[in-house]
Amino acid sequence: MEVNNRELWTLIHGMVLGAVFLLAFGGGLAGLWSLREKLVTTDGVTERTPRLLIGTTVMAVVAWLTCLVGTWIVYPWYRAAPTEGLETTVQSAELAAFPRSWLLASEGTAQWHEFGMEWKEHVAWLAPFLATAVAFATIYYGAQLIHHGEMRRAMLVFLTLAFAAAGVAGVFGALITKSAPVA
Amino acid sequence: METTPVQTKPNGPVAANFVATGIACLVFGIFVVLNEFGGSIGDFLKFDANFGLGSGVGGLSGKVILAVIAYLISWGALYYVWRGKEVDFRRVLAASLILVGLGFLLTFPPVFLIFA
Repeated sequence: MEVNNRELWTLIHGMVLGAVFLLAFGGGLAGLWSLREKLVTTDGVTERTPRLLIGTTVMAVVAWLTCLVGTWIVYPWYRAAPTEGLETTVQSAELAAFPRSWLLASEGTAQWHEFGMEWKEHVAWLAPFLATAVAFATIYYGAQLIHHGEMRRAMLVFLTLAFAAAGVAGVFGALITKSAPVA
Repeated sequence: METTPVQTKPNGPVAANFVATGIACLVFGIFVVLNEFGGSIGDFLKFDANFGLGSGVGGLSGKVILAVIAYLISWGALYYVWRGKEVDFRRVLAASLILVGLGFLLTFPPVFLIFA
């Protein structure tokens, strides 16, 4: 049993960083949703604030790292041009080393690139910006966030949009990797 | 029941970040569309080849880097303008959501591939 370099980075991108972001969303959503004056005492706010602050900050950092690793490390392997002379209209074993070209070689799989990958590689990049806005608001207001219902609701919207963007990227990433792994 | 003291922090800095996020999403979406035109703009966006920022990333490198630059500049400028101020956050949120929505729309393949 062995994991090669490409498999390792693909795992870091999708199963470690990406999964941490998607899982942390649940915690962030619950934390922000329940942060209401009628539900939480002063002690409760004091206890929750550091957790919310760390959680949203980690989400933002992880969102950036996921996209950076995905774009600058994994993506070049995916879109690498086939070696000269290699037949690009047949899904051969040799062409499998070039996932983008392998997918495009058949009408049955071309949509995984033309729709799936094209959407994934772009929409994913909206998540870090959205997550950073949530993290910054949490850092800025700290324990005082509980007094800002409108701000808290706006943060929930941005957090959900970040999750949606990352979710689309994650689902297509998994399905494309299943069809044409970069390893 | 004990209550926490009501804060007095102005919302300007956070509003600045929300709008900057919207601007970044829109700028990213615009460059996704522009890249589809190909030609000189398509070549320009290959920051990996043009400026040595990565290898094999292609046009995505330029789209991302320009969106990040737009984000930092707009956040800095709006922060400077709105620091210490209380702004109408409802309007700020509405504007931000429109910008973010456009970003989502322009990064959806059936939309941006119209320009391919």
